[in-house]
Amino acid sequence: MASTRDIRRRIKSVKNTRQITKAMELVAASKMKKAQQAALAGRPYSQLMSRMLAALASRVEESQHPFLVTREVRTRGVLVISTDKGLCGPLNSNLFKLITDVKTPAKFVATGRKGAQFLARTKRDLVAEFPISDRVAFAEVRVAVEFMVKLYLEGTIDTFEVIYSRFRNTLVQEAMIRPILPLGNLRSFIESARGSAKAEGDSFADTRDILFEPDAQTVLEALLPFYVNRHVYQLALSAKASEQSARMVAMKTAKDNATKLLGDLTLEYNKARQAAITQEILEIAAASFAA
Amino acid sequence: MPLTLEIVTPEARVYSDTIDTVVIPTVEGEIGILPGHIPLLTQVAAGELRVTKDGKTAHLAVGGGFADVKGDRVSVLAESAIAEEKIDVNAVEEARARAEKTLKEKFDLEPAEVERLEGVVRFAVAQLTVKARRR
Repeated sequence: MASTRDIRRRIKSVKNTRQITKAMELVAASKMKKAQQAALAGRPYSQLMSRMLAALASRVEESQHPFLVTREVRTRGVLVISTDKGLCGPLNSNLFKLITDVKTPAKFVATGRKGAQFLARTKRDLVAEFPISDRVAFAEVRVAVEFMVKLYLEGTIDTFEVIYSRFRNTLVQEAMIRPILPLGNLRSFIESARGSAKAEGDSFADTRDILFEPDAQTVLEALLPFYVNRHVYQLALSAKASEQSARMVAMKTAKDNATKLLGDLTLEYNKARQAAITQEILEIAAASFAA
Repeated sequence: MPLTLEIVTPEARVYSDTIDTVVIPTVEGEIGILPGHIPLLTQVAAGELRVTKDGKTAHLAVGGGFADVKGDRVSVLAESAIAEEKIDVNAVEEARARAEKTLKEKFDLEPAEVERLEGVVRFAVAQLTVKARRR
């Protein structure tokens, strides 16, 4: 049996670990609340915008706007929204699994250090890396999006996709790949999403021609880039909420494990102490009988 | 059949109700929308949005954005929106002064930042006009 001193030392170290994980859990919890609120508040906006776009895309297929034209895909463009820090459970490794699934030649742009590190380590074509802070400012995301759009318009990449962790709730986050450009893909994507969610939009079916003011071209020119920016921003918010939730859950598990271990160790320590005392009494008794 | 109006900003769903008519400020001037309107997609300019329901008119200030009319459903996507009675004139004046000051004093701003600040100013002006008209 381990000596009482050894056990005491271990108890001390486990206690320290528990204290640290507990503090990290609390920090993540407060950040999580903010991030979740931001992600949920933006949802109606981006859903409404997707719906507008879907209606639009179905009516103006003849438009030659580069965002709407589907080209032959030679190089995919993928924006990976990962985290800066680790200790958030399987969040990043799930993203990386999706990255490995991208088989066609692709160029990657990363936000978050972890994603950039992975891409560099696996020798993928990492074009650029952008930082996104904890509060996810629109301007930060916009820089990354505009970079991707520039590559897309130049023809360096033929698609614009985003790999991110979609926030469902505190316990469930799923890694997803989401097509952004060209928007031709958007319609089928929205329809598939709607099939599962059964959105209310169907009762408002209207087959008359859409009137554009001032005119279709102007509205499209304004709406499409705006949509892409806003949409990716929403994905970034969702990814941040996922990150904070995953971190909180991971830290909570670590804390619970430490508490359990501490209980076991305390029991063992008490047993060892008791055994030592009994031993001592026995020795004294034996000595006094012998005398 | 009444119209359904939805005004959504990135921060929240500001307005969602069935209404009789709505007047939306667009880049081409104001557009009044009644039930049975043909599908329309237009750019919203910063300004005053009037909603009439049961003979009562509510006034809202909206920032720029887009509006979509489809089968008696009106959706307004705005950068920002606020009901007239919630407008705080002093806070708005301050925000406007701050944004204008930054625009005037800093020349090395990013185009995106300039655009954002201009949006702030436009929305502030819209709020003040809406408020002024009520007094």
